[in-house]
Amino acid sequence: MDGVKYNFIVVDDSKLDCFVAEKVIKHSGKALVVKSFLEPIKALEYIKRNEIFNTSKTIIILDIQMPVMTGHQFVEAFEQLSQEIQDRYIVYMISSSSNESDLNRIANYKSVRKFSNKPINKEMINGFLRDLK
Amino acid sequence: MKIKILYIDDEVNNLTGFKASFRMDYNILIAHNTIQAHDLLIRNPDIRVIFCDQRMPDKTGVEFFKDIKNEFPYPIRILLTGYTDIEAVINSINHGNIFRYVQKPWSVADIIAAINEAHKFYMLNSMLSIKNGELKKAYIELDKFAHSVTHDMRRPLMGILGAIEVAQEIDDIGELKSMLNMMLESVKNLDGFIQSTHDYYNLKRGELKIEEIDFEELIKIEEKSLKSSIGEDIRFNANVQQEETFRCDKVSMNIILHNLLTNAFKYQKKGNEDKFVELDIKVATGMATICIKDNGIGIPENDINDIFDMFYRSASEEPGSGFGLYNVKDALLKLNGNIQVDSKIDIGSTFKVTIQNK
Repeated sequence: MDGVKYNFIVVDDSKLDCFVAEKVIKHSGKALVVKSFLEPIKALEYIKRNEIFNTSKTIIILDIQMPVMTGHQFVEAFEQLSQEIQDRYIVYMISSSSNESDLNRIANYKSVRKFSNKPINKEMINGFLRDLK
Repeated sequence: MKIKILYIDDEVNNLTGFKASFRMDYNILIAHNTIQAHDLLIRNPDIRVIFCDQRMPDKTGVEFFKDIKNEFPYPIRILLTGYTDIEAVINSINHGNIFRYVQKPWSVADIIAAINEAHKFYMLNSMLSIKNGELKKAYIELDKFAHSVTHDMRRPLMGILGAIEVAQEIDDIGELKSMLNMMLESVKNLDGFIQSTHDYYNLKRGELKIEEIDFEELIKIEEKSLKSSIGEDIRFNANVQQEETFRCDKVSMNIILHNLLTNAFKYQKKGNEDKFVELDIKVATGMATICIKDNGIGIPENDINDIFDMFYRSASEEPGSGFGLYNVKDALLKLNGNIQVDSKIDIGSTFKVTIQNK
């Protein structure tokens, strides 16, 4: 097992999903800092502030279906940020169900690494971590 | 409205004779040749029956009907012809290019019988295509609806599923309890969502059942459930001024009051010392005016026009189905009522509903 660790940001409007995600992420043993946001706007503001705690990359776990700002809108705003900021993040999108148009849209985002279906559990997080190697 | 009929013949005498005989009962358009006829068909999409002479110098009637069949599928095509052309006519009927033929010389009764029959057929046909169009639209809507609804129902379930998996590895009772509370919230949200879809179908499919509305009773029930589920700390004032009995559909009335009050209670500013919701109902001169006012978070100006759309949610602080105000608007549409919104961010929202006494 290699010792690379990551920071995590969870963006999901469901408190329960954020809670579960934090638990699973902390349990993976690969997490340095875990932050969760119920409002995508707040997450975006946080990313823009560009606070650097360490040199590790940050994994964003992003729900698609959210009110006010959807996951899609979040990614579109994220991709407007400077390349230097974008390079510090890896985005994974998740949803409880997906249709073809969702998946097609995701395929067009450069910054999104992969899509996965909910529920958020060990398999999902481990899958994302395996994918990074 | 007179039925619009087009008659094509190269002989002017026939055209004037036809028009003279039928213009009182029908709206008759005439054409000397097929080019003119084609032009009239373009400019009059409401032509329902076409009579055409078989023997014309530029084109036979059979040829003309064959040519226009695809471009103008709805008008019913009838050929006027003498006995000698009978073979071409039978062929054309068998190919579906003409509906029937009337033998020359025609009598007024022949033509009227042909028009009646053709018109009956036209109505059936066009009704069918209208109904088909409606069905297609309903099917596409249902498809979208099913997708959104299954998604919204799966969401809380997936959250609970993830939580159960995590809970199995947690020993701390306090932590488990706080998870159970969150799961309870998810179950309540899901139940609320299902209740809203139920309302949606009640409104879409249900007949209106007009009965006397007891506002005081309705308010008492709502107040009790809202205070226990959302907040005891919200000051609620209800004021009913009723000069006459109010009759309306109770299910729709419930949906309107319930959703507007729930929103007023739900979208309050956190930490506000004096949260209030005011409900004012006036029934006078055949009209009920319902005013619901809060001092909550308010609605962003950009969103005001979208809040009544299905699945639209303007705020993320509180869980919602995106169904509530859509259902309110749908109910009001059914009752022929009206709604106005006045809202300012951080100041609050006022919804004003007017419904006629039934």
